[in-house]
Amino acid sequence: MPSTPPDVRCRIEINGLRKDFLANGREVVAVDDASFRIDDGEFVALLGPSGCGKSTILNMVATLIAPTGGTIKVDGAPVSFGKPVRHVGYVFQKDTLFPWRTVEDNIGYSLELAGVPIGERRTRVAEAIHQAGLDGFARFYPASLSGGMRQRVSLMRTLISNPEILLMDEPFGALDTHTKLDMHSVLLGLWERQRQTVLFVTHDLGEALTLADRIILLSARPGRVKQDFRVDFPRPRDAVALRETRQYAELFSKVWHSLGEEFARSRST
Amino acid sequence: MRRASTLFWQILIGLGALALWEWGWNLHERLPWLIPDLLDPYFVSRPSVIFQQFLSMSCLVGRDGNWTFGVDGAFAKCMSRSENNLWIATFVTLKNTLWGFLTGVSSGFVLGLLLGRSNRLSQIFYPYITAFNSIPRIALAPIIILAFGIGDASKVVTAWLVVVFLVFFNTFEGARSVDRDHINASRLLGASEWQVTRTVIVPSTMAWLFASLSPAISFSLIGVIVGEFIGAEHGIGRMIIEAEARGEAAGMMVAVFVLMIAGVILSALVRRLQAYLLRWRPAQTVGG
Repeated sequence: MPSTPPDVRCRIEINGLRKDFLANGREVVAVDDASFRIDDGEFVALLGPSGCGKSTILNMVATLIAPTGGTIKVDGAPVSFGKPVRHVGYVFQKDTLFPWRTVEDNIGYSLELAGVPIGERRTRVAEAIHQAGLDGFARFYPASLSGGMRQRVSLMRTLISNPEILLMDEPFGALDTHTKLDMHSVLLGLWERQRQTVLFVTHDLGEALTLADRIILLSARPGRVKQDFRVDFPRPRDAVALRETRQYAELFSKVWHSLGEEFARSRST
Repeated sequence: MRRASTLFWQILIGLGALALWEWGWNLHERLPWLIPDLLDPYFVSRPSVIFQQFLSMSCLVGRDGNWTFGVDGAFAKCMSRSENNLWIATFVTLKNTLWGFLTGVSSGFVLGLLLGRSNRLSQIFYPYITAFNSIPRIALAPIIILAFGIGDASKVVTAWLVVVFLVFFNTFEGARSVDRDHINASRLLGASEWQVTRTVIVPSTMAWLFASLSPAISFSLIGVIVGEFIGAEHGIGRMIIEAEARGEAAGMMVAVFVLMIAGVILSALVRRLQAYLLRWRPAQTVGG
């Protein structure tokens, strides 16, 4: 059997991925033959119209959904449904903070599970709270925080265990424009220091251009990889100033055209 | 301003009712259409008599009609005259209520959690549980007295039986409605099955348990009193039955008032506890 040399740079490899759903007794193909790879330290945005299966792909990588066909490999090892990979972190779109835990106890949750001693836990949590600009809110319960603050806590809850790979499912989808831009700055600041490998699902082209190194554009349902764009704006990036540059405008219209076709297709079906 | 006016009306209505109770019967001859027959002091006594009866039953006033405090040994002497005096009766009833509450809440929670999280177990046991639940629990009290005797144990068991189903059904619903996303988040953050149970399922189910604590304490008190009606050595329930046998309306009324006050204090305490345990709930932080 011919063996290919292991590619150390490749962190996520998806091949011929397929997912069928049964909705109202009818078989629906959500994802059809999706294939792509993500290299170490890459920030990749998975962009597509609503219902194109981008979250489904992400959730299959996160082992929350079982694929119907195809393979997913993380660091060369195939993943299986229901068995999350240790160093992969996940940030939900929905608010999934534990409402009965304070901000600091939510952020320190994974350290608590791993049995990190209380002293070290306190230091790391305090640092994370500071990085997220949440000073003074350590003892607050999630219910008394704004949506943006809750999402920062969510982000830090995932980041505190230093995952090497980050899966993000439209984490800022429910936020208003200002809060969203603010969160982009926070995320860029954190990411540019650590350079985790990121797979970021979004339907917001501006968001994808601001954050990512690469945009994988999915077609309308059934989701297939339509195009792969490289976003080589220099880093560190300024989430607000970037939007006023010429390169941003050029790439925006280029991707927008292609995305627009898919939006039109998703409306007509 | 609004609070003051609410308080004013509350006091006025309270005093009005007491006045009607105290002096209303005097008008019965002349205004029979206004004063119902039930107001007859033979049935319901009068506030002033009830208060006198309370003072003597609690040994605050001795047989001679004088205050007992300050008089050496008078209180102890009065207390020793009855095995089921007001203080002992209240103590015993409250003690059994608390035990019934604690055992009922803890066992109801454990059962609810087990069946709520296991489809297999809940499928098997559900018909039995619904069948048991349709028995009016109070109907079992005589059987329990027969089986456990007239001591404290039978009262605790009766109270337990009343509380356990209430807590079980609440916990069961709670355990079934744990947010899927919270479980997923916990797993993705590295939790083992046992850690998911301990850090997500138990705390989210607790919220449902806490909501049932306030009715549980009232139910427990009802269970104990019913048990005492049927057969007991001590307790407020026995005190009521004895006073009834002697045709002493005032004595029954003293017992009823003591129960009312005990009920108010117990549920206030439980509500305090509840508010503290559920302090993370959105309702508590609105406006903050």
